[in-house]
Amino acid sequence: MAVSPTDVREEGIAVEPGAAPSSGVPIRQTNLWKDAWRRYIRNRAAVIAGVGFLLILLYCLLAPILSPYDPTFVDYSIAKQDPSLHHLFGTDKFGRDLFERTALGGRVSILIGFGATLAILAIGVVYGAISGFVGGRLDNGLMRFLDALYGLPYLPFAIITLAIIGRTNMWTMMIALSIASWFTTARIVRGQVISLKENDYVRAAKAVGARWYRILFRHLLPNTLGVLIIAIFLELPAVILGEAFLSFIGLGISPPDPSWGAMAQEGRGTYRTHPIEIVVPSVAIASLVMCANFIADGLRDALDPRSRKN
Amino acid sequence: MALLEVNDLRTHFFTREGVVQAVDGISFAVEKGKTLGIVGESGCGKSVTALSIMGLIPKPPARIVSGEVLFEGQDLTKLSEHKLEDVRGREIAMIFQDPMTSLNPTLTIGTQITETIRRHYDVPQQQANKKAIELLEEVRIPRASERLKDYPHRFSGGMRQRVMIAIALSCDPKLLIADEPTTALDVTVQASVLDLLDDLRTEHEMAMIIITHDLGVVAEASDDILVMYAGQIVEQASTLDLFDHPEHPYTEALLGALPQLEGEGIRQRRLVAIPGRPPDLIDPPAACRFAPRCRYAGNDSCTQQMPELREIRKGHWVRSAHPASERAGKRAPEATPA
Repeated sequence: MAVSPTDVREEGIAVEPGAAPSSGVPIRQTNLWKDAWRRYIRNRAAVIAGVGFLLILLYCLLAPILSPYDPTFVDYSIAKQDPSLHHLFGTDKFGRDLFERTALGGRVSILIGFGATLAILAIGVVYGAISGFVGGRLDNGLMRFLDALYGLPYLPFAIITLAIIGRTNMWTMMIALSIASWFTTARIVRGQVISLKENDYVRAAKAVGARWYRILFRHLLPNTLGVLIIAIFLELPAVILGEAFLSFIGLGISPPDPSWGAMAQEGRGTYRTHPIEIVVPSVAIASLVMCANFIADGLRDALDPRSRKN
Repeated sequence: MALLEVNDLRTHFFTREGVVQAVDGISFAVEKGKTLGIVGESGCGKSVTALSIMGLIPKPPARIVSGEVLFEGQDLTKLSEHKLEDVRGREIAMIFQDPMTSLNPTLTIGTQITETIRRHYDVPQQQANKKAIELLEEVRIPRASERLKDYPHRFSGGMRQRVMIAIALSCDPKLLIADEPTTALDVTVQASVLDLLDDLRTEHEMAMIIITHDLGVVAEASDDILVMYAGQIVEQASTLDLFDHPEHPYTEALLGALPQLEGEGIRQRRLVAIPGRPPDLIDPPAACRFAPRCRYAGNDSCTQQMPELREIRKGHWVRSAHPASERAGKRAPEATPA
């Protein structure tokens, strides 16, 4: 995005011009983003989710660096250990440290998650912006096409895509996961562009001769940023779940490289005798997805106060 | 040659319910450096007229079905959108009713002014900045150079309208169209914005069209006034003549609805409202469109067919079968306070 609506230089306290200086109480300047931040901070669930999300990211980033173990080294003498001070999450059936492997798996899952989400946004924004901005027959056509695509089930489509590509790595996973899930984003962006198009400042821009690209990139898209941020945190959990599912059924990231889905798959065989192996990646997936959902919820309330139900 | 000449302009909206004849055959001219006031109640087509001149009517559903808009002899309705964009802002600028929403909240005031300048002139950013400061000073915004970096939310309504005026003036247009420039503002701010507009018009030697439903606004600012009703011109005259000798019953009624603070109005008479409401512009009657609300329309020709717009005396045009100067003998009784 070319412009950020926030301006960090516009900080601090200023007196509204024309306000009586004698009142003594300075009026705090505010804008949408500061306002949103204030509302977000007041939402306890969203704050906890945000902190949890950051902690998970930090753990995935740092644990493999700090851990003394080799994540792929097989040592049956220490297989299937329960959590201990040496192995915080225990070890799997090959004697690999689960604390480190979960972090590594998280890296893969989160990377795929963010990558696919960005791809979804890119496709959705372009498609939705064109549709909403041009309007008329093209809009009608593009939207009917989208309606048809909506009928496609997400996971089977991802599986078929993977089968067609024939190779499985992080990039193909991103493609497979984004190819059938950008529809909602496109619709959101289209709706936003259409409603923003009616704004007075768009008409005012036209009245001084602004060309279409200036109106689109300067006046419309920057103002959709709010909903796009929400869309990111709504798409992210869906994509991460999709990745976990694909890896779990063996279509995704394959061993010995860890991903949360693949780790859960490995732990499935021993869930009676050594349940920790399947519990750890499952809890990791669940907590990340839950955090993202709560964050999305908090962001929606913060960025669009009208939708808040008190 | 007049700067702007509108000939038999018809702008219709093609809706599901039918064709709304929002602007139905209006003609007028604006001379260089003069101010024209367009007056009428909501929905009479005054804004659509302005948007038609600018080529900004929403298409679809609206379309200019006939007529021409000659600006310096060039028909704007025949220009391509691309060419028209070069005219907008550069030759004809427009300011809108609501200054609170007419500025993009995500861009600084400075950006919004300089972008307009650089849209039409090939000048470096620094020079555009300098020009922007000059413009803000010209519209009397204090500490102009500092305020350039401010976002719109830091400005009050009156100041935002000044900024809008600065943007409109940034390319020295020859014609400024002000669509209800003061309607959204406080009464005290209204006067200062109007004064400002008038001063700037003189300094920049612009022509101006002021659109309003408030006769008080046009009384001082404009040279000529055009009264619109239901998509048509019903009366057109110089400001003085119109206020002193209104001819059309509608204009008379409008003036009667104004509070008077001097002269006979001091007798605390009640304001006289016009009964009824304007006709539906889908399929309007073939008769005079004001007839159902007119005190003088009886069982005569004007309820059967549309009166022509005729020049009742030099420079004073009226569309009515019962203009004031022709009914002196059979004057209707003065409206009594209810």
